[in-house]
Amino acid sequence: MITFEGVTKRYPGGTVAVDHLDLTVPAGQTMVLVGPSGCGKTTTLRMINRMIEPSGGRILLDGQDIHQSNPSELRRGIGYVIQQGGLFPNRTIEDNIGTVPLLIGWKKSRARARARELMKLVGLDEQLARRYPYQLSGGQQQRVGVARALAADPPVLLMDEPFSAVDPIVRATLQDELIKLQADLHKTIVLVTHDVEEAIKVGDQVAIFRPHGQIAQVDSPERLLAAPADSYVENFLGFDRGIRRLSFLAASGLNLDDRTVVGEDTAAPVAAQTARDTGEDWALVVNAGHQPRGWASASDLDALPAGSAAGQARLEPYGHTFSVHSDSLRAALDATVLSPAGRAVGVDDNGEVVGTTTYERLRVAIHAAEEAEQRAAVDLAPEAAEP
Amino acid sequence: MSFLSYAWNWLKEPQQWHGADGIPARILEQLGYTALSLIIAAAIAVPLGILIGHSGRGAVAVVNLANAWRSIPTLGLLVLLVITLGFSPLSWLVPLVVLAIPPILVNAYEGVAGVDPELKDAARGMGMTPWQQIRKVEVPVAAPLIVLGLRTGAIFVVATATIAAYIGLGGLGRYIIDGLATENYGEVAGGAALVVVLALAVQAFFILVRRLVVPVGLRQQGRPS
Amino acid sequence: MMWSWIPSNAALIRQLTLESAYLGIVPALLGLVISVPLGIACARWKWFYPPVLSAASILYALPSLALFIVLIPYTGITDTTVIIPLTLFSLCVLVPNVVDGMRSVPEPVRQAATAMGFGALRRLVQVELPIAVPIVIAGLRVAVVSSISLASVGQLIGVSSLGYLFTDGFQRDFPTEIVVGGVLVIALALVCDLLLVLATRLLTPWRPRRSRRAARDLAIGQPAAVLSGGAG
Repeated sequence: MITFEGVTKRYPGGTVAVDHLDLTVPAGQTMVLVGPSGCGKTTTLRMINRMIEPSGGRILLDGQDIHQSNPSELRRGIGYVIQQGGLFPNRTIEDNIGTVPLLIGWKKSRARARARELMKLVGLDEQLARRYPYQLSGGQQQRVGVARALAADPPVLLMDEPFSAVDPIVRATLQDELIKLQADLHKTIVLVTHDVEEAIKVGDQVAIFRPHGQIAQVDSPERLLAAPADSYVENFLGFDRGIRRLSFLAASGLNLDDRTVVGEDTAAPVAAQTARDTGEDWALVVNAGHQPRGWASASDLDALPAGSAAGQARLEPYGHTFSVHSDSLRAALDATVLSPAGRAVGVDDNGEVVGTTTYERLRVAIHAAEEAEQRAAVDLAPEAAEP
Repeated sequence: MSFLSYAWNWLKEPQQWHGADGIPARILEQLGYTALSLIIAAAIAVPLGILIGHSGRGAVAVVNLANAWRSIPTLGLLVLLVITLGFSPLSWLVPLVVLAIPPILVNAYEGVAGVDPELKDAARGMGMTPWQQIRKVEVPVAAPLIVLGLRTGAIFVVATATIAAYIGLGGLGRYIIDGLATENYGEVAGGAALVVVLALAVQAFFILVRRLVVPVGLRQQGRPS
Repeated sequence: MMWSWIPSNAALIRQLTLESAYLGIVPALLGLVISVPLGIACARWKWFYPPVLSAASILYALPSLALFIVLIPYTGITDTTVIIPLTLFSLCVLVPNVVDGMRSVPEPVRQAATAMGFGALRRLVQVELPIAVPIVIAGLRVAVVSSISLASVGQLIGVSSLGYLFTDGFQRDFPTEIVVGGVLVIALALVCDLLLVLATRLLTPWRPRRSRRAARDLAIGQPAAVLSGGAG
């Protein structure tokens, strides 16, 4: 656990980079520091491993004032990943990764073995071990940087804009992998980024900085999106935070409509009647495997020659589906918006249709989820006033 | 006795300051050789360097030339030319010019080649002809390095001219060579001291030239990158 | 050309070549040994560099013959009289290269090393100096080649080297001897240069082979670099 107590950083000339900061980074979680350029987030990060010394206040690492430790020793217990990688160009990949182990006295063979373990962990081909940094792509170099930071298994990992220098596709992949890694390793991670989307995606806790080194709000991503503390935070989060918030609500809470689903072999008149019964005039046609094929309108079904099955009608595309078990309400909303029929198709893990949504059902689900959240918040804070 | 006392004792003799072998005469001779060689070398090397820098062709040759040139022993070259061609302006002027060309050429090339590509692009985009690009953009920006090349060339010319006294050339080297032959260390020291002063004066001259020639916006303390 | 002169004087030629090698390589190596700590200091304490550069550019402008002569009252007619000025010239070339080499270490790499717990000395030895090697050796090449060539001038004050073949050839009006001397000086210099290029390759397997940096390491205008960094 990392604690900032009244930490200030003042530069000669008067600039205050960090202003009486109080912050607690819970152990085993990812804390993301996010804010505009020059807000002090990187300065704050670099005070943890004493790359920058505070002008005032103190920083505690697991209860110990870091100022009392020898800086080099302190740093060997903290992993550090930076935007440009900072790989030693004159060392092979495996020797780069093994830097800290070698530094603390491991035998070369053991350090290299550990390096290869980590390469596997971060998704690097072992064949790259004897290569040099210049031979790797940007994304690969960033992975090496992460592996290097993890080599001596430090409890704390500091990351300074680690994914900013790679293209968006690689960035998304690296973010996903970080989330997966953290699920296994439970390190105390402090990550600095200017990208609020990244913060929300990756962080367990997010600290939003104001300009000039003060914190506007520290909270979980869901709570931030649900209840921004002031207009600064609101603006910072962006205008579509309502929709983004939905990514934290599970789609499993949706009450899906399965009455509109008809098998492709159903007789057309029966299918048409089913469609009309729901009041919507559309029926979802599924195949033998209960997988979606498309939407058929009642009028199209009626127009079919006698003896036809529903599957022979003209079918409107169903857009893309959302997974009932693993997707969020945001994915369901997105699928609904994209569906030409204005209804999204929810499928289970086998791709079989569970049911369909409408905007109305989504609205109901969102409302229900919010109420549940508010009740949970009240339970946790009994002194808070009832809404 | 120290070097300076030897030199001083010789320098303060009034007869050193008169006549064909007098100090003023020798200084003028040395300056004459220096100036002549530099002008000829510059006339060849500066345009050539600019052209190679502008077009990029021949750059590899320039780079290899720079290194190989430094290995040529000046004494050997002078002596060889004198023996095969006899003592004439050719036998000392050619080595002086030849040894001065590489630093001038290389620096002119580096100067022009090192002009920010965006700047060159802008000039081309504005519709300047290649000649205009060279004259208005590339040469002014390369000016510091071109002057530096001349300054470096001057170092080598002054040094070579001094050595060339061995094959019979005049100038301040005369005192050194004659003094060594007659074992008159005073003359040797005096000559060496004068050469040092001259070398420094030539450097100061080029520093001044740079101040005058280089546009204000380009004055930077920097290495040719 | 009287080719037969060569084998009949092989022993002399060998002796003189060794002397030239000695008088050329020793100053370069001494220059290296002195320039590394000096250059590191200049890179570390920025205020220190400009005066050092100014001194170097003044020194570099002085003709070698004059410097040999300045030393005669103190070191006589010995190898030292030649070695000291050539060492100083080597310094003039090498110090800027050491500084440049140190500066060529990318800042993120330095930061990463510190953040991983490298102390300043360890970082210098394990990270910064190895990265600086190509640029430093580029300067060493210039130093060696120049020293080997300039050493022959020492013959004029009586310090023996391949320059003897020039003065003797001159006095005897014997071009063969001069040509042999010239070829050997150039060959010796270029062989040393080549060896240093190979050394760079061996010491830096971590550098891309075909790169603009590799091409520029042919040390263009290194002495010029000394001058531009000083009084400008």
